[in-house]
Amino acid sequence: MVQGATLSRWTMTWFATALVFLIGAEALMAAGYGFPAVSAEAPESLVLVHMIAIGWLSLLMCGALFQFVPVLVGRRLRAPGLVLPALVGLVLGLGCLLGGFLQLAGTLELDVSLLAPAGVLLPLGFALAAWAIGCTLWEGRPLAPAARFVAGGLACLAATAALGVLLVCVLSGMVTTFELVALRARLLPFHIAAGLGGWLGFTAIGVSYRLLPMFLLSPEARKSTSGAVWACGGAALLLLVVVAPLALVVGAGTDIIVAVALLLAAAALVFYGADVLFFYRHRRRKNVELNSKAAVCAFAMLFLSALLAAALLASGSMARHAGALLYLVAFGWLTGLGLSQLYKIVPFLTWLECYGPVMGRKPTPRVQDLVVEPRGKVWFVLYFVSVLAGTGALLMNWDSLFRITAAGTLAATIAIIGELVLARLLVNVATERRLPAGASRPHLFLPPLRHG
Amino acid sequence: MPLPPYDLDVRPILKSGGAPFGVIMEAVAALAPGQSLRLLAPFKPVPLFQALGARGFQPAAREIGNGDWEVTFSPVDSPAPESKAASGEADWPEPRLCLDNRDLEPPEPMVKTLEALETLAPGETLAALVPREPLFLFDQLRDRGHAWRGSFEADGSYRIVIRAGGLPGKPA
Repeated sequence: MVQGATLSRWTMTWFATALVFLIGAEALMAAGYGFPAVSAEAPESLVLVHMIAIGWLSLLMCGALFQFVPVLVGRRLRAPGLVLPALVGLVLGLGCLLGGFLQLAGTLELDVSLLAPAGVLLPLGFALAAWAIGCTLWEGRPLAPAARFVAGGLACLAATAALGVLLVCVLSGMVTTFELVALRARLLPFHIAAGLGGWLGFTAIGVSYRLLPMFLLSPEARKSTSGAVWACGGAALLLLVVVAPLALVVGAGTDIIVAVALLLAAAALVFYGADVLFFYRHRRRKNVELNSKAAVCAFAMLFLSALLAAALLASGSMARHAGALLYLVAFGWLTGLGLSQLYKIVPFLTWLECYGPVMGRKPTPRVQDLVVEPRGKVWFVLYFVSVLAGTGALLMNWDSLFRITAAGTLAATIAIIGELVLARLLVNVATERRLPAGASRPHLFLPPLRHG
Repeated sequence: MPLPPYDLDVRPILKSGGAPFGVIMEAVAALAPGQSLRLLAPFKPVPLFQALGARGFQPAAREIGNGDWEVTFSPVDSPAPESKAASGEADWPEPRLCLDNRDLEPPEPMVKTLEALETLAPGETLAALVPREPLFLFDQLRDRGHAWRGSFEADGSYRIVIRAGGLPGKPA
């Protein structure tokens, strides 16, 4: 048996599925489908947004958490049998959701609305994934700082799903209460804040608190600042995800709540920035690998997003340019960070799976021998430059330029995924060292069959 | 006459979100020979039972209300068996090799430890300092039939003592 208790069997399958959705969404953008050719709230844009938020980022995050949370709390994953059903539920649910949006767009004509089954399958898939991750965290109490962020992220996932179901009910015509229909547009920002800022963002921050010191060989986070990020960020999310939507429902104003939340979020980002700098400054590893360099670009995009948000708010043009801001957050920060970490995690897990059994007994290649960094660097530069240019094109309302930059992002993503495939296939390892006797060649994205 | 136990209340540390492990390990290191450690915690600190067991302390725990626990760790003459892989073992021999793998890049700490392990005869031990709790190494040790004991150091690194498997009656 090659896989040990701490290697999650289906992680590569989650990653592969997520990457398929990423390529699909980027190809649609390069083809000019959805935003910015039509409005950000048009059904075509909703197709794009959910391919990215659920298909790519959420599947990536779940796959990573199944692997990562057990390492974080030093315990095996609870209920590992839920991992595959969760993936099936999410993919089917997302398929229904996208189909439902296509019905709204008039592209797809069916007698029954697909949004209703999506409203069941997606929360179910997320619930299964969150149950396995949540139970593992629960057993690992008291939680380490990084794990607390993951727990907060899971809570936000629940809130995102709840608000999402509400929106689906309105969009599908299942709910026709006038008040709710009127609230739909005003609830949307909080659905986005809970999903992008809470579930994906807060969790990514937590994961980085563990991965950065691990890959850079730096000391663990300082308690005061990481605690401040947790407190300020958590309070901001509580206001945006729970208090503000409730205020809307009871008919109260949300301006002050949102203002306080934004100030708290800004404070959290400042403390987080200080921690990221601390990790890089105090690293004991002299040569920074490509994954950590690309992560620096992703962090820069996060702070650039914060500056852009401040500028848009100050100039009163947030409503007009929210799409550009969300694009920078989703592609510059979250996707950039995700791809950069995959560039390390995939070779590392492949190496462990393949050479674990002969480790120490026979000479094995190093993890870095599975990748060719100078080549990968070109793709990451192309990726981040095209995302920045794309954000600029959106801010200038220059749609044709945006399609060109989107093609650049797509090309870079395909190239990075190609590098991951080559790493899985051990192509970059010299032939004579590739498979010492006793090593086992990993499957591309399906787990090995169970023995015994 | 035995020394009075050293009292340590980690509840304020945990309440403020801190991790008390380093403080506990410093306190243990500062104990006089034969002295016990009396710990007050807001939960039953089961992971500590293993960690301090590996250092030769026997826990006695009792609940003192409000979910809080008082645990007295008393030194015993021979170290208590720690990991399940090491159950039923008497004293282990002194480590034949001592490795400091704290500054290596992952997964080198694991590779170097396993390489050194290959040079041991069955029953011999080695000690290794690694940057973190080596969860992936545990898998390898379990698969290869080695026994181990481990605990955190005050600086957050992890010290593991591994006894090479292959003795008669041991899983190989």
